[in-house]
Amino acid sequence: MNNQTLFYITTLVVYGGVDVIACLGLSMQFGVAGVVNFGFIIFQAAGAYTAAVLSLPSDRANGAFQQYVAGLHLPFPVPWIGAAAVGGVLAIPFTGLLSRRLRTDNTAIAMLVTAVIANALITNYRPLFNGAAGVSLVPAPLASAIDPLSLNYQYVYCGVVIAVALATFLVLRRLTASPYGRSLRAMRDNDLAAASIGTNVRGRRTAILVLGGSIAGLSGAILVGYINLWAPSAWTYQETVVLIAALIVGGLGNHIGAVVGALVVPLGFEEATRYIPAFGPPGLVPALEWVIIGSLILTFLWFRPQGLVPERRRILGLASVRNPSTESVDLPSLKESSTDA
Amino acid sequence: MRSTDFQTSTEPAPQSGSGIILRATGLRRDYDGVRAVDGVDLAIGRGRLTGLIGPNGAGKSTTLGILAGTIEPTAGIISYAGRDVTKLGTHGRARAGLLRTFQQASEFKRLTVLENLLSSVPGNPGDSLFGALRGPRHWRQFENEALDTATALLQRFRLEPQANDYAGNLSGGQRRLVEIMRALMARPQVLLLDEPMAGVHPKLAREIGEHLIALRDDGMTILMVEHELSIVDQLCDPVIVMADGRVLAERSMFELRQNTAVVEAYLAG
Repeated sequence: MNNQTLFYITTLVVYGGVDVIACLGLSMQFGVAGVVNFGFIIFQAAGAYTAAVLSLPSDRANGAFQQYVAGLHLPFPVPWIGAAAVGGVLAIPFTGLLSRRLRTDNTAIAMLVTAVIANALITNYRPLFNGAAGVSLVPAPLASAIDPLSLNYQYVYCGVVIAVALATFLVLRRLTASPYGRSLRAMRDNDLAAASIGTNVRGRRTAILVLGGSIAGLSGAILVGYINLWAPSAWTYQETVVLIAALIVGGLGNHIGAVVGALVVPLGFEEATRYIPAFGPPGLVPALEWVIIGSLILTFLWFRPQGLVPERRRILGLASVRNPSTESVDLPSLKESSTDA
Repeated sequence: MRSTDFQTSTEPAPQSGSGIILRATGLRRDYDGVRAVDGVDLAIGRGRLTGLIGPNGAGKSTTLGILAGTIEPTAGIISYAGRDVTKLGTHGRARAGLLRTFQQASEFKRLTVLENLLSSVPGNPGDSLFGALRGPRHWRQFENEALDTATALLQRFRLEPQANDYAGNLSGGQRRLVEIMRALMARPQVLLLDEPMAGVHPKLAREIGEHLIALRDDGMTILMVEHELSIVDQLCDPVIVMADGRVLAERSMFELRQNTAVVEAYLAG
């Protein structure tokens, strides 16, 4: 395999890993807890911008050709930690949208509108993050240790992305399989009934929005460290639609479905449509990509709403099954036949 | 705070002569100019199975919703176990042991019957973000004990064969049972039931009735909205009658039958 192919493959692994991390965050919110966050991309963007301005030197550097806040020139991993923190903290003001007065569908619309407004503001207000042109020349993490243009750097970055994705998956699976995860799924099914048995619905929604926000923020930091630039065109509200499409295709309510969806939709489909030969007026092929993604959502909603990997039923052992002998004092461990994530 | 904590920490010991566990004073609720509940005063006796009856639109379900915290009152005060809970949200009241069920089936459809039951057990160490992150070792023992309680309850209500079925796939009557069992798993002191037998097969309805009597005999306080007078007649004492958002009377069923205003409320309704 020549170097060009290896660069292509490692780039796909990084993109795929970032999509997987983002989809896992959204899967926890949307699939498990029923929080319909159509503004998810805002949190990824916030993480990317944060990591960018924390790792960039002051904006007077590089001939002062761009404007941005901070410019602290902090070493890795501080920008990534900052990105996760900002993604989480940014979620807090949004929790107001999740109060009981706003129904789920209203919340979804409110988040979508917020994503559009945020993008318009950042595009048109240059002092914050250099407006429509975006921030560029973002330093690659650990550039002093390994040459970012080398193939070795690609391998290391791939390894880090896979490790972060795996850790995210394991943490979220642990949460989802716990009594806490069960109460989130209960809340998703019927929030009023969940409140009436003692679940603090608003508190849990807030926690999940913050958790998903920091995961999204981290995914943004990883992406910006790799592509070294970040602009409003990278985080239009349609990008959230792609992630939601991934969850619907993969299967809502289980994290393996989220991983499969992330690999099939944002990575697989967007990559495959790249090979559509150019035809017709300019702009037709990119528009067709959206037609295909939209059709994919509709097809799955209609023919296979449970997705490629359906949420699995969690079978628990009854006490009478677990304790055939009444003399047994030590309770054997809970039988859970589901391997669902 | 969980219900058990609450019971030990804030609930006063029952005082002689004061057998009231739940009291509502001057409850009012307006919906866009329509007064659904209009100055209701209620006092629910500890360990009693109280019936709440009245024609359609009398304000029974709204009153129950206000007591449980799912509906905010326009005016009025609710005190529970000697404590003003008017400002306490639904989940706070539930944790304090004041639980409700709903008129429409409100089981968690994509949770199994067992999961539905386990979801309401208070005090599970794995039922918090950090508790869950600590892993199964932290909560498995508690979960196993809750599973034992759930199994016993399923046996009592004869739903053990359906334990691992999705609750959403059960019959209407079975779903009502799941909801009642789920409320019981939360170890309530007061149970507010909104037409628990509606849409249930008469045989099953009779069984639910027997269970409610048994629960009352165990010392639980139950307030039950019900349409079917014969059911109320068999189970409830005392009975509160509502009409047009007001309390019309509170007596035993036998006394109510002598009361023409009550008979008229029903005939007119």
